[in-house]
Amino acid sequence: MEKILDKKRIDDWIAALNDWEVHAPALEDGIWTYKPVSGAARLDHPNTRQSPKGFTFPQREVYFSFEQIKGEPPKLTQILPKETRHVVFGVRPCDGKGVPRMDKVFTDHVEDTYYTTRRKNVAYVGLACNKPPSATCFCLSVGGSPVSTDGLDVQLTDLGDRYFVKAVTETGKALMKAAGSLLTEPAAADQKQVKQVHTEAVAYPQRKINDPDGAPAKLKVSFNSPLWDEMARACIGCGICTFLCPTCHCFDINDEVHSKAPLQGQRVRTWDNCQFPDFTMHSSGHNPRENTGARLRQRVNHKFQYFHENFGMHQCTGCGRCVSECPVGIDIVAVVNKVTENVG
Amino acid sequence: MSDNIYLPKLGRVAFIKDEVVGERAIKTFRVEAADGGDLFEHECGQCAMLSIFGRGESMISIASSPLIKEYKQFSIMRVGRVSTAFHDLAVGDVIGIRGPYGNNFPIDDWRGKNLYFIGGGCGLAPIWPLITTAVAQRADFKNITVFYGGRTSRDIMYRAELEKLRESVDVHLSIDKAEEGWDGYCGFVPAAVMDKDPVPDNSVAITCGPPIMIKFVIQNLNQLGFADDQIYTTIENKMKCGLGKCGRCNVGKDYVCVKGPVYSWAVLKNLPEEY
Repeated sequence: MEKILDKKRIDDWIAALNDWEVHAPALEDGIWTYKPVSGAARLDHPNTRQSPKGFTFPQREVYFSFEQIKGEPPKLTQILPKETRHVVFGVRPCDGKGVPRMDKVFTDHVEDTYYTTRRKNVAYVGLACNKPPSATCFCLSVGGSPVSTDGLDVQLTDLGDRYFVKAVTETGKALMKAAGSLLTEPAAADQKQVKQVHTEAVAYPQRKINDPDGAPAKLKVSFNSPLWDEMARACIGCGICTFLCPTCHCFDINDEVHSKAPLQGQRVRTWDNCQFPDFTMHSSGHNPRENTGARLRQRVNHKFQYFHENFGMHQCTGCGRCVSECPVGIDIVAVVNKVTENVG
Repeated sequence: MSDNIYLPKLGRVAFIKDEVVGERAIKTFRVEAADGGDLFEHECGQCAMLSIFGRGESMISIASSPLIKEYKQFSIMRVGRVSTAFHDLAVGDVIGIRGPYGNNFPIDDWRGKNLYFIGGGCGLAPIWPLITTAVAQRADFKNITVFYGGRTSRDIMYRAELEKLRESVDVHLSIDKAEEGWDGYCGFVPAAVMDKDPVPDNSVAITCGPPIMIKFVIQNLNQLGFADDQIYTTIENKMKCGLGKCGRCNVGKDYVCVKGPVYSWAVLKNLPEEY
């Protein structure tokens, strides 16, 4: 299903999505953030600061609450996500690419109820990148594209005063049907223009990972390379790279105690981070990844070797957030290139 | 509620025993289903995620044989937040338990073979289900030999059980330094193994203990002629989910909680040393 939407009417489309809670990027204190919208949405963002992964994998997820009166057995009350349906407008193709990768993590081996419940209730209306929105973009190096529809339900392409609207999934079709007569049939000129825009989009130069296909094997033999320590020397272990990443999924589980007598609290999942020293530290004090070099290697190898060995795809979508936001300038593109150059 | 992979069952602590007291205290706990019935089936080598509500979860090896259905046994050294809370438990207290997690020792492949068990410190607990299962099915195996060492005689766990084991298998206990009244071996476990010259023919060696002990045990076994695929060990890494999702226990591409904790040395020696 392919349609045309007058840009001025996007607010009417959003208003027509009665059954959904709609989110779109909003500029808040200079930071693009997904916010609930009822009317006016603007899709002129380069990309949001945070990826949209929080819609399926929120930073804080409560598993259950516990309550225990002294001398009695504890009572557990399972807490599952609400079945509210969300639609997220303006998702960039790199973040769309993150979706099938997160699906792998949370459904492989056993299914994670919290993820799958949220996942089946969220739809993504993507926005193709007519040109790379950031100097740190490198989606083309990792099997992506500025016009990819992976993980999206609808793809919008900006054609100046109107959007070219393409359904990707059945859910996407339903969202488009809800727009009714707001969406009109594309003219031959629209079809021609969207092709032109897409062709130009993929032709824009981007930063490059030199040998993405060879990276898994090359990284495997570079495990003991001295470059890891060298390239991680500046790392302060802040973890911003993983928090902003659309595919980083590591988490911690902890008990939050709200009252000691009677005991009341919740078991909670929160995002965790492979760049933190205590992420892997045993209670004995032994730490298998005891320095920043080992931890940088874990982040890079997870994305460009381990995940690829397990699922046949890189766990990096080229969004460039970890590059642009790193306070000390650690650059995953440069790291992969440096470690893998002159190997094999 | 059973679909929720993070929701623990409730287990009642039915038995607590001090194995080792002092600085490196170890207690043994037997946990049964709080509502009666069985908790779950498990295999030798698997682990369970235990929790004390309000303190948190910790992954612990199941230390009882799968042949025992009424309870699961765990021997826990007091080292961190959760294990300390375990040491404060009393019989009758209710904890959380989910599992079992991980792979298992391929005991069925080992019937008709000699088994050498080599444990150090609290590393006896993860291989204890295997030892006790093999002893319960004694006729299925040839010679069974248990080497086990503690730093001092006070660090020897399962003392009474090991003495009873002598009725059906060879047991060699060791301590690091000589003590008055000790009639076993004095020295480190890898040396205690060499002292008895295990034969590699038709044998499997299973070792668990501190990483440095495992390292030298394997070196010595190789020297005795044990091939890499005749040596098994079980490793630990920090874990939070037990389900291959939380991202921290991986050694290379595999999560220890799913593909481990049991590895043959033939496999483990080719993995990055991140454990």
